[in-house]
Amino acid sequence: MKNPDSTPAAGGPQITRRSVLRGALNTAGGLAAFAAAVSPLRDLDRDELTLERFLQKHYKEMTPDEKDRALQRIAAEVERRYAARPELRDLPAMDGVEFAYALNLGRCIGCRRCVHACVAENNQSRDPEVQYIRVLELPRGSVDVERADHYYDRPAVPDPDHFYMPVQCHQCANPPCVKVCPVEATWQEPDGVTVIDYDWCIGCRYCEAACPYFARRFNFAEPSVPREKLNTDMTYLSNRPRRKGVMEKCHFCLQRTRAGRMPACLEVCPVGARNFGNLLDPDSQVAQILKTKHVLVLKQEANTLPRFFYYFDEDFPRNRGSAPARGSEAHRKGLSLTVLNPQAAQSLPGRGRGGPA
Amino acid sequence: MSTAQPSTRGAWVAALMGPAFASLAAWFIWGPALTRLPVGKPAVVPDAALSTAARRTTVGDPPTILINNFRRTCTDCHRIFDVAARPEGDRLQHAHVKLEHGINDRCQNCHNYRNMNELVLYDGGAVTYSEAPRLCQKCHGLIFEDWERGIHGRVSGAWTSELGPVQRLRCIECHDPHQPRHPAMDPLQPLPGPATLRMGTPPAGGAHAPELREGDPLRRALLHPQLSGNNRTERAQHEKP
Repeated sequence: MKNPDSTPAAGGPQITRRSVLRGALNTAGGLAAFAAAVSPLRDLDRDELTLERFLQKHYKEMTPDEKDRALQRIAAEVERRYAARPELRDLPAMDGVEFAYALNLGRCIGCRRCVHACVAENNQSRDPEVQYIRVLELPRGSVDVERADHYYDRPAVPDPDHFYMPVQCHQCANPPCVKVCPVEATWQEPDGVTVIDYDWCIGCRYCEAACPYFARRFNFAEPSVPREKLNTDMTYLSNRPRRKGVMEKCHFCLQRTRAGRMPACLEVCPVGARNFGNLLDPDSQVAQILKTKHVLVLKQEANTLPRFFYYFDEDFPRNRGSAPARGSEAHRKGLSLTVLNPQAAQSLPGRGRGGPA
Repeated sequence: MSTAQPSTRGAWVAALMGPAFASLAAWFIWGPALTRLPVGKPAVVPDAALSTAARRTTVGDPPTILINNFRRTCTDCHRIFDVAARPEGDRLQHAHVKLEHGINDRCQNCHNYRNMNELVLYDGGAVTYSEAPRLCQKCHGLIFEDWERGIHGRVSGAWTSELGPVQRLRCIECHDPHQPRHPAMDPLQPLPGPATLRMGTPPAGGAHAPELREGDPLRRALLHPQLSGNNRTERAQHEKP
């Protein structure tokens, strides 16, 4: 052996220039790797490492006093970041109210106004863009979400060969996302809305994987909301600004709906395809729709029991195509289907549910 | 030699540890940038697009028009000009009104020729302009029922009248009675990229490129970076010639 340094010496390890250099190089490399690995910590600002924040309890375990203090802390943080004093409050669920949504697929034209009204209302990140609502464009004839496209970009909508299906959080009565949460940061409120405690979420994204509707969004980057675009009307469980690394999703605009107002996506819909209301009130919009329309839910086989219903108008020419000519086979078939009694259909020509063709 | 071999290997391992750590550090710093999914610029949304105001402003009741700075109602002219005597389609005034309302292609189906300030029902009964839904009900009975129940049409305000005012619109505040079908709209820009890997990347070949939406989106984005991301402007330029 030419090099005596590398042979095991009898009297323990010898310190040579080579071993010192090698050790120094490895230590420097190791430190560099460690520093790079922990470098995201540099992005933390002082609001993220406060004792109050660290010791804050879960939303459901906080006493009213603790809740007030948490709200004040968050409001101060928001004011520091956005230079606007938010009206941050905590709105509890109302008694005897169960929110539900119904969407008329025959009316929706896929204009995406709801998507952006939601972004503006709920302080979602603009860059990178976080959107709660996805509008699917589906070929006419079936509800086949495998053939849906949510990146459609046409000069004008609606396209005559397609129909449009906005998908957002379905506020399931049997929510898979709540079951998988390892820290119980998401739960179902008494009014049926599944909410997230953004301060309790650890960002594991299990709920995102569990949701069959792709309704949950993760903040991969620090959300950016322009100061002048911040919606200052906010509640703890709904649209207060989120941080990087937490989940968020549609919450039926709790800051509006628990104060009695309609959700933002509904008010902006130019064709009135969206309906919202209290499922337990028999006179509400959604209760009327469930009573009088043929309602479907998306991915019924997942047994999620959504509180978000889709329906088609029974008699709307856009969905029916051209009406069959009177006296034709298709027309008689349609009559026998609608009237159910062939004799009655024979005696009342052209008197089907749709009226004369 | 047999005794020296382990120590040579140890020397090699020790010599490689420094570069290994350094490349690990480089990967921690620049790795995320290399594997980031191509996501385009966020959408620009004009505030006007998110207006919740009614789409149309309606005429008054009775409808008025400003002629030489005098406010006139329909009958001010139509007590002289007898519309019933003129053949349909030969209009002196109102030539800009284009009637595209299905089989309903006669003015007198809705307008009351005896009193042009009002609308007319099947039996000749008059309906004022503010009661227009009663006129539409003549043919659109099912939709009128829905509207009465509160499940047709655009609403805003409170979700129940117990908690505040509910603003409901009448038929002609959304639909032009002469062209009741809604005009086509320009959709707002789609999501510039996937919010999750499960969503897939936007198709570059337009909306009709299903083969590009299949498979593993991350792998596809890395293999074909030119096929992903927001190429709205490129596509617009491409379509021009």
